[in-house]
Order: sequence, then C-alpha cells, then structure tokens
Amino acid sequence: MLEIDVQPGGVVRLRGRLDAAQADRAKDTLLTLNGPSTIDLTDLDYVSSAGLGVLVQTFKRLRDSGHSLVLTNLKPRIRSVFVYAGLDKVLRLE
Amino acid sequence: MVERRFPRNLGSLEPMVRFVADYVRHKGFDAEHSFTVDLLVEEIFTNMLRHAKGGGPDVSVGLEGDVPELVLTLRDYDVDSFDPTAAPPAGAPGGEGVGLRLVRRISDSIRYEYRERSAIITLTKRFPL
Repeated sequence: MLEIDVQPGGVVRLRGRLDAAQADRAKDTLLTLNGPSTIDLTDLDYVSSAGLGVLVQTFKRLRDSGHSLVLTNLKPRIRSVFVYAGLDKVLRLE
Repeated sequence: MVERRFPRNLGSLEPMVRFVADYVRHKGFDAEHSFTVDLLVEEIFTNMLRHAKGGGPDVSVGLEGDVPELVLTLRDYDVDSFDPTAAPPAGAPGGEGVGLRLVRRISDSIRYEYRERSAIITLTKRFPL
C-alpha cells in the first residue's frame, strides 16, 4: 500500500510501496506539483521500475516547465534501485 | 518447491508479496531479502502482463532453495512465446526496459523456456551470508 501526503511548498511524502499497482495513483497525485518540488522518501519501503517511471515522468514534466525536483532521504536499498537503473545520474538524489 | 497461482492482473502483487515474505521467513533468509525477491517477481510478472500475447487467467510463482540461494520461477500459461532475455541491450532499438535491466543487475542468472504454450522464467539469486 502507498500513502501520499502532499504538503505545502511542493513537498510530497511517499510512505509504503511504490509498485506497478500504485503507480497510476502516484502519477495522478504528482501531476498536482507545478513548481519547485521535493519528494521525501524517508518512509518509502519499496520501489520498482513502474515507480521509477512515475518519478522520472514527474522530473521531466517539471524540468520542461523550468522547475526542479529533488528526491530526499532514500533508504540504501531504495537508492540502490535508482543506481541499478542508472537514474542516480539523471535525478537529483539527496 | 512451493508454487502458487495468482490471477493475471496487478491486484496479485500484494498477495505475491505475502507469499514471498512467508517463504523467506520460513526458510530463514534475512527479512531484508524479501525486498530483492519482490522486485524480481514484480518485474517479471509485469513484463508478462505487458508483452505476452494470449495468456490464461493465472500466472504461477514458484520458490525453492535454502540460504543462501533462492530460485524463483514464474510461469505464464497459454501464451505465445516471448523471450525477454533475448531483448537487445538498453539503448538499442527495441532494447530492454528498466525493469529487465534491474532484473539482470540483481539476479545471478535468468533463463527462459517455452514448453506446451507456457512461458517459464527461472531466476536464481545468491544472497551474501
């Protein structure tokens, strides 16, 4: 299950599992971001390629509008998925 | 080997996670290893949903092995042959997607078989002791 908490100032917290079953819902929520944004992954326990796809789409959409996207507080195993996918060189991970 | 059938749709991901967690715990693997096995299961399963032509109502997931090596088998019934392991490298036309790239990076081996209209993917993963 995935919980998505949209906070003021373009901050979103994802909690739980961002898998293929949750990707569409996450995509719909992240479409509400329209300025510089931060996605806090402190409580994200799992991500698959479907979840990575949603985050990359969000990054590209914001970038094309002149805005930044930062992903913060990744657990080591979550970060390793980004690295294996080669996305640590594309996305800003902090 | 323990094997279980799941409906051929994304709603099966959650019960698949429970199936993997039960096996990992029962066999004495580190609970953290469920993360890796879940990822392998999801990437192969969603690849089957996306690319296999035909397909019966179910897909089966099989788990076998003891610490440190786990063998994972996914079987898609009544489908045309589609070998994801034959995809060109990422970046080439028609090349492998991110999901298959992750599977190649994470697993120790991947094998595709096609028998009696079933597509069978077998993965091995050796976890560090």
